Amino acid sequence: MSCPIPAATSGYATPNSHPPQSYQQFWRQESSSSALPSFQPAAVNSGSDHDGYWKQGTQASQIHQTNPIQPNYQSPLDLKSSYDKFQDQQKTAPSQATTYHFLPPPPPPPLPPSQQVNPAPLQSAPASDTSQVQIPTNPRIASNLAFGQPKAEKDSSTTNAAPKPAYISVSLPKTMEKVSSGDDANSILKPGAFPKSLRGYVERALARCKDDKQMAACQAVLKEMITKATADGSLSTRNWDMEPIFPMPDSDVVNKDSSPSSTPESLLPKYKRSPRRSKSRWEPLPEERPADKSASISNDTVKYSGWVPNEKDRKVVVENKGSKEDGFRNSKFSSLIQRTTSNKTPQRAFKKPRLADAFASENGDASSDSDKEQSLASYYSSAVAFSDTPEERKRRENRSKRFDLGQGHRSENNHFRKRNAGAGNVYNRRASALVLSKSFEDGASKAVEDIDWDALTVKGTCQEIEKRYLRLTSAPDPATVRPEEVLEKALLMVQSSQKNYLYKCDQLKSIRQDLTVQRIRNQLTVKVYETHARLALEYGDLPEFNQCQSQLQTLYSEGIEGSYMEFAAYNLLCVILHSNNNRDLVSSMSRLSSDAKKDEAVKHALAVRAAVTSGNYVAFFRLYKAAPNLNTCLMELSVEKMRYKAVTCMCRSYRPSVPVSYVSRVLGFSTIASTNEVCDEKDTDALEECLEWLKAHGASIINDNNGDMLLDTKASSSSLFVPEPEDAVAHGDANLALNDFFARAPL
Amino acid sequence: MAYMSMGEAHRRITDYLNRFSDAVSSQDGYSFKSLFAVSSNSHFLLSLADALNLFQDANRLIKQSDHFADIILPLFRSLQNYRQGNLLETYHAFEKTANAFIQEFRNWESAWALEALYVIVYEIRVLAEKADKELASNGKSPEKLKGAGSLLMKVFGSLAGKGSKRVGALYVTCQLFKIYFKLGTVHLCRSVIRSIETARIFDFEEFPKRDKVTYMYYTGRLEVFNENFPAADHKLSYALKHCNPQSEANIRMILKHLIPVKLSIGILPKDRLLEKYNLFEYSNIVQALRRGDLRLLRRALQDHEDRFLRSGVYLVLEKLELQVYQRLVKKIHIIQKQKDPSKAHQVKLEVIVKALKWLEIDMDVDEVECIMAILIYKNLVKGYFAHKSKVVVLSKQDPFPKLNGKPVNS
Repeated sequence: MSCPIPAATSGYATPNSHPPQSYQQFWRQESSSSALPSFQPAAVNSGSDHDGYWKQGTQASQIHQTNPIQPNYQSPLDLKSSYDKFQDQQKTAPSQATTYHFLPPPPPPPLPPSQQVNPAPLQSAPASDTSQVQIPTNPRIASNLAFGQPKAEKDSSTTNAAPKPAYISVSLPKTMEKVSSGDDANSILKPGAFPKSLRGYVERALARCKDDKQMAACQAVLKEMITKATADGSLSTRNWDMEPIFPMPDSDVVNKDSSPSSTPESLLPKYKRSPRRSKSRWEPLPEERPADKSASISNDTVKYSGWVPNEKDRKVVVENKGSKEDGFRNSKFSSLIQRTTSNKTPQRAFKKPRLADAFASENGDASSDSDKEQSLASYYSSAVAFSDTPEERKRRENRSKRFDLGQGHRSENNHFRKRNAGAGNVYNRRASALVLSKSFEDGASKAVEDIDWDALTVKGTCQEIEKRYLRLTSAPDPATVRPEEVLEKALLMVQSSQKNYLYKCDQLKSIRQDLTVQRIRNQLTVKVYETHARLALEYGDLPEFNQCQSQLQTLYSEGIEGSYMEFAAYNLLCVILHSNNNRDLVSSMSRLSSDAKKDEAVKHALAVRAAVTSGNYVAFFRLYKAAPNLNTCLMELSVEKMRYKAVTCMCRSYRPSVPVSYVSRVLGFSTIASTNEVCDEKDTDALEECLEWLKAHGASIINDNNGDMLLDTKASSSSLFVPEPEDAVAHGDANLALNDFFARAPL
Repeated sequence: MAYMSMGEAHRRITDYLNRFSDAVSSQDGYSFKSLFAVSSNSHFLLSLADALNLFQDANRLIKQSDHFADIILPLFRSLQNYRQGNLLETYHAFEKTANAFIQEFRNWESAWALEALYVIVYEIRVLAEKADKELASNGKSPEKLKGAGSLLMKVFGSLAGKGSKRVGALYVTCQLFKIYFKLGTVHLCRSVIRSIETARIFDFEEFPKRDKVTYMYYTGRLEVFNENFPAADHKLSYALKHCNPQSEANIRMILKHLIPVKLSIGILPKDRLLEKYNLFEYSNIVQALRRGDLRLLRRALQDHEDRFLRSGVYLVLEKLELQVYQRLVKKIHIIQKQKDPSKAHQVKLEVIVKALKWLEIDMDVDEVECIMAILIYKNLVKGYFAHKSKVVVLSKQDPFPKLNGKPVNS
């Protein structure tokens, strides 16, 4: 929900910054009606009215519903010269007018009126839908609109209205959205008790504040909201639980402005409008849902335009759109505006930042932009300039400054937008997504899955190859996230790096983080995890290995290629050697395909399993010596256990003694498997090692006549024990040992 | 579907509603339960579904006639959807019915509606499975069965009390087992088992026999996973003993798990049994145990690997290898005894290696030595191994102790 809101704000804000002229120009060029002198505000008004008009009585009538808020409304509207005219024509409530401004243009060119408006559907569209809708921006739609509008205008030119402006204003400020949702809730909730939920809402809103400034800002907004709500009587009726939290106000701005009215100014008008509209929206219209969703999800306008030709479909679409009223259209529009503005070079400095801010939640793919769109947008923005008070302007400037940094990178792709938006926006976006999902749960349970997460994903812009890992405690900042190409380089860098594991682990974790944050799941992701898993294995960092391994399992199951067999083998070994859970083992064995069973590594792992379950230490240590890949590393972890078991077994079954050399050979101490004449040095080393190991485990050793050492099995069988590992740490995780900590510090 | 008039549709719906309220007012559990069996494809319910699909205004009828609208409304929707093949919607609607039913059920003092609850519990599971199938075929993640699991836990909670309804708890438990085994989340069974086996309100003998058998079957399988063979043997044998002899499929299922358990404690089934219940996958394994034929065992395991892995007995069967080795050594010992009784208790390692070679199993001396050590260690062979002379020296008394129902030492 929040998504559209920010956009809306920007819509509002923009007008100020943009000289109206641009708009006018545009109009002159493109639409016949452009000639209107007092265009802007009027245009907006008339546009909306016109739109409504065009759409037939139904909508109009619906809209007309009483508007308690009217007075507030009007003030902004008054600016518009043509407003009166419209009222005459349509008898539209002022509020309606505003509302309708926000409506996007009627769907493509000339639709028969009957199709366009279906009041009932209108009601059903939840605010959440709208926000969702907003995300996708379709260039084509935009262009459609641009084209279509003029025509519509011509048709309706009698009304004098310039429809387009109206649309622009469509983008509702966040507050408005909220209100609307709240109102929606209204219809559900019976008015009555003073809402506990309001308190909750306030708490939630304030909980986000990181410092006093923000707190103050939030409080100002809240205060305004509550006053307003009390005034129009919706305080107790609104469902505050459902109310999306308003976007975090810019604390600086608020402080500077300090005039409490600044926030309200922008928010209020929108506020009031929304309540009325929302009322009926929440009525359940289950059948419509799917259509809604699809419409909303469609990132491409393709869908939209595609539908138009088909009568039936179109109807559905239109209905939906109509139902969402500003929602759908708004979103489209706002995104359109945003895109256009952002692309416009001259205005950039100003607009963009603002837009970015406002559109925090907006995620269109601003790929194509036509001049028309641009001009349209600028026109809109100018038209929307309702609240052009000094405070408001100040605020905007402030906001715009924030984004000056990011300007250089702007280009057609949406990366820039996100970057500009910065972390704060991302936060909003995410929050909005959450709200979305929440509200969706009420309705269609599937809806959450249909949220367009793609559109909410961060796109990194950082070009640094090296980056330290830092666990995120807030939404990722695109400026510090590396895009895929850079990550690829980073991976290569790590792979060829000579530095130690701790450094590599740190780097890989940051790469993984960047991948996750950007939701990149492809072969690169697999490579990164594989690399990390291998390094972790070599180093013996099991926790990290397990993380990578489980990620890899899902990645492979998604059909992304990688060293599937190798890791299937690791997985098997892990289950065998660590979980000691027969069920897990059986299930992971049964999951192996017959192809997999032919793979060397997997075969090896299976053989190890057989050796372990049967306790066949000879086979185990042979496999240990001949392990492919990094299977050795995993086996190493159970070597100690296996050896101890083997020696207990030997002590029990051998009499009277076993030569230590045999034990050493069988239990994998000596590197050379077979007997006798081997290079003595290694052999003796191994022998020494084995001897030490046996002694450490309480075995009793005797010398025979030839001077060969023998394991006295009978004596040993009662004296064997497992020594405390020397490097044991109290908390059990050697990686957290103090020494390691210090070792890590200088890194 | 034959043509049906509006009047006929109306009649059918009111007929259903009347039956419903009659059953409730007379507390007739038997006729009550048939009203909920959505997936039973009974003629009565199917024709009702047709009527519902024709007669759009059924909701009004329900609201007029009955205060069980919370149950019936979604139930009708469920029936309609089932008739139309929308399995996901069927499940969703039925879930609502179930929830509403549980509400009512809690309020009924006596357990007269227990049978109906059974039907509902069963339907929840079956419909969830169907819904999952539909979801999976649409490429979505099947999660309804999981949801059904938590719903059944709720039902379980409503039964686990002191009243007469508690005898229904085991049925719900068994349905939960089925869900968990299907989902592969058997660890979830533990909490239910604990409350069944430790809660004082439950007396195991008091539960219906049918449920007891099912319960023992599933808990027995769990014990197989834990390799707790005596317990598994006890539970599965109980299930086998009390299972209705008519239901051969069930007996077969029990035997599939009981046979490996019995084998691993040294009890071999008669061939007749395997024949009767068509369990030929075990016949080679039994044969291998009798003959000490390692090759045969390995081949049998390989041939039916998938099947054994699926039923979870693979690892149990694989451990039979040691018994096969034991048998092999025993045979060698017997032959040696015939030749030269004085030296019979010394089995040379190379003899065993040679015997294995004949079985086309290629193991070198070290490995066979290891196996012998393990045999002695696990008390399958009494004696010791002399490393210097590479000889297994067998005890003169009972060198090959029988397991006699005890598991192999581990």
